[in-house]
Amino acid sequence: MSLLDSENGKRRLLGIEIPGIEHYNIGRDPAFRIRLRKLEGGLILSYALKPGNNVHELETRLGANYPVDAPLTRVVSRLELSPHQFPGQVLCMWRQTSKRNTHKWDPSRFTAIFAVQATWRWLACYELWMSSGQWPIPDAGV
Amino acid sequence: MAHLFIAGLGSGGFAVLDLVAREPEVDLLTLVDPDLYQSHNVHRHFFPASEVGRAKTDLAVEWVRRFRPGLRVEVFPCRIEDIGCAVALGEAVGACDVGICAVDSEVGKYHFDSLFRRAAKPWVMGEVLSGGIAGWVHAFEPGGACFGCVCRALQRDPTPADAVDYSQPYGTFPETSVPASRASISAIASIHALVALERMRGRAAEFTSLLLSLARVPGAFERAFEPTRWQMTRIDDCLICRELTAIPADRVDADLEAALDRLGERSV
Repeated sequence: MSLLDSENGKRRLLGIEIPGIEHYNIGRDPAFRIRLRKLEGGLILSYALKPGNNVHELETRLGANYPVDAPLTRVVSRLELSPHQFPGQVLCMWRQTSKRNTHKWDPSRFTAIFAVQATWRWLACYELWMSSGQWPIPDAGV
Repeated sequence: MAHLFIAGLGSGGFAVLDLVAREPEVDLLTLVDPDLYQSHNVHRHFFPASEVGRAKTDLAVEWVRRFRPGLRVEVFPCRIEDIGCAVALGEAVGACDVGICAVDSEVGKYHFDSLFRRAAKPWVMGEVLSGGIAGWVHAFEPGGACFGCVCRALQRDPTPADAVDYSQPYGTFPETSVPASRASISAIASIHALVALERMRGRAAEFTSLLLSLARVPGAFERAFEPTRWQMTRIDDCLICRELTAIPADRVDADLEAALDRLGERSV
């Protein structure tokens, strides 16, 4: 039973995630709005963020087991090889060994929009790393 | 007669299995574990090194049939979160009386919680702290606090943050926990089994979470063998178990399709 097949998953989307995404999109430039598409029982959020000088195209995947499984975010536009980055330009944001109240995905408190905000923060760190060579938050990705 | 659903056949889960399977009221077990028996399991498990390489579910079936030859056992050699087994696991949970969770991953525990909340079935989980200094037994009831509520209420972080080598994100990193003794594991497994058996007999635990110290550890546990209990209710803003019933059941699919259409690629 995936996110899009189960009653719980559908209600989570309709009651929590989609209202959050629609609120995020209100008044936002169309190029930076979140768009959705289905993929293998889950959803892909496509969007762009501009934390500093550069616009980054992104995809955040809410997999079939979301929200128990953390969302997975990858940068579609080109990145330099940096810290806190997995192959395929997937961002390291939710270490399972991290603290719950800081860097560990918590399905009881976090939403897809929280993941988008965390991505913005990761990208801001990335841009600072590009200019200084230092990742500004040493112990985790966001 | 009762049907128990057990996920996780590590040293703790197997000890619980050994205890509950001996009860004559138990006539059906569902066992879930993806792992093979490995050399590092030998000193805390029931089997000799000659069994290394065999599926833990197979070893479990052979074990319980030594003393309960007629016991019905169904096995799922997969992870509790395995999407390919989700339908079959959901059916097994729906048919069982009580769940016993002994998986060691946080994701697995959330999945177990999700399966049992969906089926409105009670379940019990046991955990031994690093070094075997204490252990938890948590009892979950349909409509009560979920695993996410309990984690938040206890401000629980079972795994300490550690330094990660981001130059090798898929590399191994040293284990930070101290292995618990077999005695500590057995002590908590016994309570875990007792709470599960009591629930099977219709008697719910008088706590949501029970912490039992097993050693005196200055700064953490002033005395050994001291229990602390918590009774918890659902947290109102928990995104896992809050009631999302505002939309009538017959509108859910249509509303979801409409929302996805509004937010679809062609909407920009």
